[in-house]
Amino acid sequence: MSEVRALIVDDSSVMRKIVERSLRQAGVEPLTVVEAGSGVEGLDVLRLRHVDIILSDINMPLMDGLEFVRQLRAQKLAEGVPVVMITTESSEEHVKQAIDAGAVGYIRKPFTADQVKRRVLPLLSL
Amino acid sequence: MVSLRDSLHVVTDARNLDESVYEVFETMLGISCCNQPDTDSCRTEKEESVTAVVGFGGILTGACVLRCDAPGARFMAERMTGMELTAVDEVVKDGVGEICNMLAGTWKGRLPALAANCSLSVPAVITGSDYKLHVQSPEFRISRHYGFENVRFEMMIVCDGLQ
Repeated sequence: MSEVRALIVDDSSVMRKIVERSLRQAGVEPLTVVEAGSGVEGLDVLRLRHVDIILSDINMPLMDGLEFVRQLRAQKLAEGVPVVMITTESSEEHVKQAIDAGAVGYIRKPFTADQVKRRVLPLLSL
Repeated sequence: MVSLRDSLHVVTDARNLDESVYEVFETMLGISCCNQPDTDSCRTEKEESVTAVVGFGGILTGACVLRCDAPGARFMAERMTGMELTAVDEVVKDGVGEICNMLAGTWKGRLPALAANCSLSVPAVITGSDYKLHVQSPEFRISRHYGFENVRFEMMIVCDGLQ
């Protein structure tokens, strides 16, 4: 199985570790994780590195997750790479905003590894 | 224009907060919490405590507050991260802040009008001892105590503005 490279964008280092752990528990192996603490940092990472999937929070300082997704699509960074939002915001309007921005999936916090598995594995063709 | 005043009894129903606490702790920490009597607290103001605050903005303004003692905060962060933590360090503060963030989001998500018309701030975490929390002129306040194993914590939803 080829290695999966995942970018995890969240201002909480604890949450980034939890997302990584959930990916591994979901069977995403071998896995290399790149972390970013903000949307700005996430864009910097994507200018330098190729990833296979992006998981991003929405509520972050400096640049929120929706603007991060809009910017990476507008700048044609990570073209064709699926983006999944992982966030406490759960309304239909927020989901629609995320999809309109360019995300393809949405996971609400709190989440289980099984929810991550069901949402992420199909996007990686695993 | 959506108004919460007609459904204030739903917004202030403490069971929504209870269910949110149970869901977050069970899902993210694998812990079953239960309600504790409000008078059942071993914490004194002199002991180090950790308080996380997430603000609400929009159709409801106010805050979600989580407060626990230092050992309780370390225990929560350990369960979230799988790490052994010996002090209230950045990991503990980050972890408790994220728990409060999820509690705030889960609580408001139970009320459709709030879910769509109320946003959350990023968490703020205060640590120390010998301090009191004071909110001026709240519209309403929901205050509940919970516990699991040897940990006790307090949750508050404080509203200072409601449309």
